[in-house]
Amino acid sequence: MQSAAVRVLVLGLFAVVPFIQTNTYWQHVFGVALIGAILALGLQLLIGMAGLLSLGQGAFYGIGAYVSAELTLRFGVPFVLAFLAAGFAAAVSSLLLVPIVRLPGSSLAVATLGFNIIIYLIMLNEDWATGGSYGLLNVPLPRIFGFEFTTERDLYFLILAVAALVYLALDRLTHSRFGRALKAISQDEDAARACGISIIHYKSKCFLVAAFTAGLAGSLYAHHARYLNPNDFTFNKSIEILIMVVVGGLGSLPGAVIGAIVIVLMPEVLRSSGELRLILFGALVVVLMGVSRGGIAGLAPILVDRISRYRTSAAGTCLESGERKR
Amino acid sequence: MGASSDAAYPRFVARSDFVWLSTEIDALGNVMSSEQFIQGIIGGLAIGCIYSLIALGITIIIRATEILHFAQGELMMIGAMAGLSAMWMVDLPFVLVLLVGMIGGGIAAVAIELSIYRTLRTLRVPLINIVIATLGVSLILQNGARLIWGSEPLRYPQLFRARGIDLAGFAISPQLIWIVVLGFVMMAILQLFFRYTRLGIAMQAAAQDPEAAQLMGISVKKTTTYTFVVAGVMAGAAGVLLGSLFFASFNMGFLTGIKAFVAATLGGLGSLTGAMLGGIVFGLIETFSGVLISTAYKDAVGMVVLIAILLLAPSGIFIRAGRRV
Repeated sequence: MQSAAVRVLVLGLFAVVPFIQTNTYWQHVFGVALIGAILALGLQLLIGMAGLLSLGQGAFYGIGAYVSAELTLRFGVPFVLAFLAAGFAAAVSSLLLVPIVRLPGSSLAVATLGFNIIIYLIMLNEDWATGGSYGLLNVPLPRIFGFEFTTERDLYFLILAVAALVYLALDRLTHSRFGRALKAISQDEDAARACGISIIHYKSKCFLVAAFTAGLAGSLYAHHARYLNPNDFTFNKSIEILIMVVVGGLGSLPGAVIGAIVIVLMPEVLRSSGELRLILFGALVVVLMGVSRGGIAGLAPILVDRISRYRTSAAGTCLESGERKR
Repeated sequence: MGASSDAAYPRFVARSDFVWLSTEIDALGNVMSSEQFIQGIIGGLAIGCIYSLIALGITIIIRATEILHFAQGELMMIGAMAGLSAMWMVDLPFVLVLLVGMIGGGIAAVAIELSIYRTLRTLRVPLINIVIATLGVSLILQNGARLIWGSEPLRYPQLFRARGIDLAGFAISPQLIWIVVLGFVMMAILQLFFRYTRLGIAMQAAAQDPEAAQLMGISVKKTTTYTFVVAGVMAGAAGVLLGSLFFASFNMGFLTGIKAFVAATLGGLGSLTGAMLGGIVFGLIETFSGVLISTAYKDAVGMVVLIAILLLAPSGIFIRAGRRV
């Protein structure tokens, strides 16, 4: 929906960030936030567009991370190939879930959650493949055609580039025939079916795309954090991604990005409040759910509406008082 | 038998941040003796009853409001902590500890309902927003409890006499039997409450058809609040029972809540009988797969069964097509 100018402007803003904040710790956190944005964008397609409540994105994220790390560590596969392989591995494993797609709302949530727990236990217990609870150390830095991304800033730009591409791809997808079909399904499944839309077919494709996206994010995470532990990919991660999407605003791609940034940065910003940090975070989530239907992305129109209503009502009282004088 | 009464007790095995039940059985390999079988049954029933109590709360909340209540496990944790704190202050008999836990869970539930969920419903936000808010509530309760009770697991004092009961020649921990008995008693009371009291019937009616119930003079607002009270009380009871079996800690709730949620789905989400049986079946599956398959993949077996059941019988194993019991 946005014009190209707005997009270029926003991308420019993101690109300036590591030059304003030169502290490498913060640059790392911004990188993590953008990885969160990629994850949230993937889930937005599932839940915001297709109305599929999935709590299994953390599993695909983990699969992507381990595949990419193992390929580069053990087999010396170049980063670009490992990155793509991570996406495909996640997508292929999501095929296991395709039979589940036809389940209704909350059953689907529980089933995907169960899938996530299974994958987590495999990561934790199959030491020969994943290093088990000790984790995988020294995942190599990404290297593309001889250029090695060594500094936090380089890594940030790599992640930003992927995030921008994912955003554009999903934006194209949602404004295509595919996206319109999804919208129809999420509004009224029966009507959509009557119009000749194969519901299972579209929902499965959504799962595939979302898993692919999560796999890419996992690969970036592996080479950004350089250390993997199964505890990073529990169902808590899936729930965190869900919170990002809903806090940012259901059904809105910019909302997913905003939500991810808020959810990743908020605990960092609140760090000074120590023990109260997570309580405040929980309270903020609750309050945000109350004030706006569409999350943060939905707040802006509300504010604009309030202000304009306030203005018109103010103008109205002026007129009234003027009339009375007359 | 008296000499080996220790062996009848569940052993504590810390794994990541949660404590699992593990009986003495895996030391002997995969072959089960009949004693181990009996102990497995009792242990599975005990843990299953605890899941059932939590799952019942989740189910009545879903029926009344359609909210997936992710903070249900935290209500259980509050119950465990309340019971433990009462015991620190006065030396109470077990039944009173249980009562304190139930009151603690109930108060926590009603406080959340009145301050947060009712406000959100009045604001008419979409359902998914309320579901996410329950995740926020879960965070608040967990970390609030961490501030009050600290982050170390707290040991429950011995609530029962330590000797194993001799049951047809097998040593059985009396604690497990008490948990099963109390769990069944509480579920029976809940059934009677829903069947024979005015409030219980009103709550059922409001859950089935809010508009018709309102026309019959039932305040749906009130029955919804009572639903949360009942759910909190059940969770509080589960907390004391689980605490007495293992430890009480601020993070004992979330994973247990998720498992109870799975148990409720196993039996058919939205059915009381389904939640009860689902909890018990899940407890038995968990215990026996820990014994027969592997302790590491104990949880995975439960999830595989869940996914299989959802695929074969999407409405759960205990529901005849389309009918909510």
